[in-house]
Amino acid sequence: MRCYIVPPHIMTHLANRQTDTDYRDRLFGSLDIDRANRQGRLRSVTIPPTVSATGAVPKRSIYDAGHTQNLPGSKKRAEGQGATGDNEVDTSYDWLGVTFDFYLKVFQRNSIDGAGLELISSVHYGRDYDNAFWDGNQMVYGDGDGRLFVEFTKSLDVTGHELTHGVTQYTANLDYQGQSGALNESVSDVFGVLIKQYHLNQTADEADWLVGADLLGPNVQGVALRSMKAPGTAYDDDQLGKDPQPATMDGYVQTSEDNGGVHINSGIPNKAFYLAATGIGGHAWEKAGKVWYATLTGGKLASTADFSTFAAATIDTARDLYGDSSDEVNAVRGAWDGVGVSA
Amino acid sequence: MRISVTRSGGFAGITRRAEVDTDERPDADDWKRLVDRADLRDRGRPAPDRFVYRIDVDGRTAHVGEADLDEPTRALIDRVFASGG
Repeated sequence: MRCYIVPPHIMTHLANRQTDTDYRDRLFGSLDIDRANRQGRLRSVTIPPTVSATGAVPKRSIYDAGHTQNLPGSKKRAEGQGATGDNEVDTSYDWLGVTFDFYLKVFQRNSIDGAGLELISSVHYGRDYDNAFWDGNQMVYGDGDGRLFVEFTKSLDVTGHELTHGVTQYTANLDYQGQSGALNESVSDVFGVLIKQYHLNQTADEADWLVGADLLGPNVQGVALRSMKAPGTAYDDDQLGKDPQPATMDGYVQTSEDNGGVHINSGIPNKAFYLAATGIGGHAWEKAGKVWYATLTGGKLASTADFSTFAAATIDTARDLYGDSSDEVNAVRGAWDGVGVSA
Repeated sequence: MRISVTRSGGFAGITRRAEVDTDERPDADDWKRLVDRADLRDRGRPAPDRFVYRIDVDGRTAHVGEADLDEPTRALIDRVFASGG
């Protein structure tokens, strides 16, 4: 059903614009429901629909894997407990809190599953482990090798990225290969950087749009692992090589590695989001982020969606939220044009 | 015996490769034992930000997801990266 694509927080936003009769009629007219229903819905959304969600608090548990690959390890910090003095345990605890807060306050989402799921992190995973991941149930962070990479807990956007893999798992569940896999990756980068921008209260123009800016070792030539603003420019280093991300479809990489290059081709939808956000202006999470979130969680996006399908879905969402010929729709459409994806 | 390992994926998405030709090495027998114990069958489903390994032993190839690595295969991979260039 079409109305599922508009989550309650957006309905609240729209209800606040009741003076814009044309706009409201266009939106609710498109829902194909009768007037009585419409009135009822409008009344219901003027009441904050997320009283329980906005009062929600995170349930965090941080474990120490003790440099093994056994999960979760030993529990070091539970919700509400004070700092442990272990920098990775405490940073992970803090960033999980910021990420939880972002999803709750911006999208009225109560944790990863929308139903208050416990947030579990394991730090000090493996030896010289240059990675962080979401394993389907929890977040896992390595300390890096100290030379190419330092602790993966450092960058807030990495925690945002991993937790968003969980959100995706519970919503659109994009297949982790090929274009749908690159979209899965991109969505994690998008919300990862939005969480950082929200934390720093930056507008789209002020933000650096970098992913993993705090992870590179002291002698690595680069600024981050990925740049959403300029994919392919994040690093160029003797050891790491050069950032392989394309910014447009012309550079799409066909490969059997990395599940079809999911961390490479994500540069294309990443750049599209950057173009949409800067085209719209202001805080990127307020409009462009809302469009991407509603598309991801609206229940209509196929798990096998390719770039074109996703692009068309974001344009549809922007239309539902802001109106057919709105600046927001034009910005989203222009963004996909700008990276060579036909919607 | 020629053994190569390619690791792709991970959060960083940076591919790493190493290769060892064991024939000239004094520890060639150790390598043979490691290979014999390793499970060189394709396995593992795509999983977010996990490493993906491609292991080649004299033309025989296995693709294995990090989450599905058994200990002997992991030991082989670690040793190739530690020894190979």
